[in-house]
Amino acid sequence: MSDPSPSRPLVTFDGVCKRYGNITAVHAMNLEIYEGEFLAIMGPSGCGKTTSLRMLAGLEEPSEGEIRLDGKRINEISSVERDTPMVWQSLALFPFLNVQKNVEFGLKMRQVPTEERQQRARKWLERMEILDLAERDISQLSGGQKQRVALARSLVTEPRILLLDEPLSALDANLVVRMQGVLSRLQKELGITFVYVTHSQSEAFAMSDRVVIMSQGRIEQLGSPKEIYRSPASRFVADFVGANNILSGTVSQAGEDLEIKTTLGAFRCHAGTSDPFAVGDALDMVISADLVQISLEDPNTQNSLRCRFISEEFVGSIVTLFAELEDGSDFKVQTRQRDLANLSLGEESSFFVSWNATDAHLIGAKE
Amino acid sequence: MSPGASNSLILRGYVVLVFIFVFTPIVTSFIFSVNSDRFPSIPLGHFTTHWYETIFADPDVWDAFRVSGIVSITVAVLATFIGFCTAYTDYRYNFTGKALYLSLALLPPTIPLVIMGLAMLALLARINMSGEIYSIVVSHVVLCSPFAMAVIRMRLAQINPDLESAAWNLGASNWRAMREVIIPFCRPAIASAFCLTAAVSFDEFAVAWFVSGLNKTVPVIILEILQGNTDPQINAIGSIVFITSMTLVVLAQLILMRKTINQTATGI
Amino acid sequence: MPIVIWQLIFFVFPLIFLVVLSFWLVKNYRMVPGFDTINWVKMFSKGYFWDAYWRTLGYAGVATIVTSILAFPCAFALAFKVSPKVRRWALFFLIVPFFTSYLVRTYSWQIFLNDNGIFNTLFALVGLGPFQLLNNFFGTLVGYLTLCLPLVVVLQLISLANVDRTLVEAAHNLGCGRLRTVFQVIIPLAKIGIILGAVFTFILTFGDFVSPYYLGGSKPPTLSILIIDTTKSGQQWPRAAVVAIVMIVTLLTIMFASIAAAYRKRT
Repeated sequence: MSDPSPSRPLVTFDGVCKRYGNITAVHAMNLEIYEGEFLAIMGPSGCGKTTSLRMLAGLEEPSEGEIRLDGKRINEISSVERDTPMVWQSLALFPFLNVQKNVEFGLKMRQVPTEERQQRARKWLERMEILDLAERDISQLSGGQKQRVALARSLVTEPRILLLDEPLSALDANLVVRMQGVLSRLQKELGITFVYVTHSQSEAFAMSDRVVIMSQGRIEQLGSPKEIYRSPASRFVADFVGANNILSGTVSQAGEDLEIKTTLGAFRCHAGTSDPFAVGDALDMVISADLVQISLEDPNTQNSLRCRFISEEFVGSIVTLFAELEDGSDFKVQTRQRDLANLSLGEESSFFVSWNATDAHLIGAKE
Repeated sequence: MSPGASNSLILRGYVVLVFIFVFTPIVTSFIFSVNSDRFPSIPLGHFTTHWYETIFADPDVWDAFRVSGIVSITVAVLATFIGFCTAYTDYRYNFTGKALYLSLALLPPTIPLVIMGLAMLALLARINMSGEIYSIVVSHVVLCSPFAMAVIRMRLAQINPDLESAAWNLGASNWRAMREVIIPFCRPAIASAFCLTAAVSFDEFAVAWFVSGLNKTVPVIILEILQGNTDPQINAIGSIVFITSMTLVVLAQLILMRKTINQTATGI
Repeated sequence: MPIVIWQLIFFVFPLIFLVVLSFWLVKNYRMVPGFDTINWVKMFSKGYFWDAYWRTLGYAGVATIVTSILAFPCAFALAFKVSPKVRRWALFFLIVPFFTSYLVRTYSWQIFLNDNGIFNTLFALVGLGPFQLLNNFFGTLVGYLTLCLPLVVVLQLISLANVDRTLVEAAHNLGCGRLRTVFQVIIPLAKIGIILGAVFTFILTFGDFVSPYYLGGSKPPTLSILIIDTTKSGQQWPRAAVVAIVMIVTLLTIMFASIAAAYRKRT
């Protein structure tokens, strides 16, 4: 994943709002999307991500604000005139056209002569490795094949930007992984902008240069997957992304090395370059589950907690342990399966978790 | 106004025009059934119930209504029953020759009524079955069952296919499952089919004209009057037919609506 | 199971009997069973038969095209441009004519289309006409529309309402203008309802005798009128049977051809 070129943005959302009657789907959104980047918009259902995408495609009209493409306002330009091809969740392939004719559709609309459009369509079918399916009926294709047709259809007109609305959500798990690779490679080869809406963290993080996390119509955080994973900007993001443990407390000692007092004890945290906190500030301490060490004996460090084993979730090479802290709240630990094999943890057995002061991330708690 | 909005306006106006076209003959029929002029034209004459009085006084008309009533109810019962069996067979079973079976069941509406009438009369006359009320019933059932079948089949397409299996799984016999699960689910469709077939039978004239002989149905009477001269009695008869049919339909809809509301409330 | 028996006895059998009947003779107003192809020969040699045949075919064809075209904007508007509540009421009101008498409605049109009828009176007020609206094909066509228009609108409406809206959006998204989308995307998707409406119209108008008789002047005759005339006068049932069989064969051919066209997979 390359760094996006921070030159002039290709798309700008400037104070864009969308209201349906009394309900606000999107609140004053400000976002810049750069040329050639893979941007994922992620969030739970109803967060406004699909609405934002649809406004960019011209399928919905903003109630307020301006959307600019290449510096020019496009609010009034109908979806027919915009060159913002979209890949739908349901793929929206035309059942009355065969594969090749589906792919040719966009070219036909642009009055490209028959010879040329057949040629270009076939070239794209070849690129997507489905040339042998050219004459087939849509109903005879598998999920993965339909995906490729949908992609070919949108890209055949060589647009500058491609919009994708949860296109992989209907696929089997192993196909999803394969298609992620296809999409990633495609985007890098073509060098065009992909705007990808999803509710799946793994998809968003695996493919994108930058991720926008949305919740209830607002942008919670915008940054690279690594930034978001390691430094969630709000409690919502910390809860939504990754497996994080959050302890709330107040600052009891300020400085570069903070001490935070919580109901479970006092812990040390290295503040780093984030906002300076003063004594008495309320904040959340985020401890990522994969940065936690477990031991059966008390490790005798300040940053440790005693917990009681509840259950484990085995997902292959990574195991997630669910435990309960002394105050009844949950604690998650992620570790490799083979590391866990050395310890024998049974139901209700107690163990200790510990972490380094530099591994905790701080978020200023909002009231 | 944006082009999208003015398009919508034009289209909606067109819808209104279509409805005006469709309803004009019905409305004028009503109006002229209470108009005094014998030869309808504008300006209108004065309001009168004279025509209604005339037809109510005519014993032939009463007979015709009686015959039509008997025929349509009987036809409705038989056609709905046959339609239900056919629809269920199509829904549940797959067998060789199913396509043939279906085409047989659905073919009748495609044969022009005049021809059906001719064929029916020819056959029934030879075996001395024509001219009686049951002759009309028999012919109409053939014509109406496809409609009943179509309506019920559409409803069956909406049923969760697992419901029947669940009933069997819990120990219900085929017949029991049908009675407890399928039929209640299809009740709205069965009622609609009943009303539909009754209505089709009531208004059907071509076959009835051929086959009925002396036992005339209402449309046959209308035909006879029509073949005479223009006569506002027709309007009066037509209006009564319309009111009767509509009352039945509205009644059926109300009963069904209450049923479905109750059913939805109990989570079916 | 019961339906097969019933249909066989009361539907197939009469039609087969019709075929048999066409080979019988009529002597002294009574029918004589036998086998003679004279009825067929006579009918096929008569000019007026073929006239009626092509005329009826033409009438039905025109009616089908006109009805389908007139119904489409209405069905389209009801499917895409009105709220679901309005759509339901519209559907209800479109089914209402079905419960009125076709005969009576035809009679009502006479009042309008007459030489002294309502339309001509109105035209006279602005100094136009009088137009010959009755006893010609125009009258017949009005009658056909009265018979078929509601049905066709309903059939087209059902298909159109079931069109997947994301496909329409996808077409727009790929640069297909609004009007173009109607022809390139919406109509292909609603193909079944449109064809079904056309087929029903053709069948109904091909066999109808009320409209051509009461609004079309009954001359020159359509095939259905021919059947009635042939049976009423002279009891020429076998001849009528010949006409009937020709009609059935024509209709079945057209029906199967249309259905095959409707379900043909486009490559």
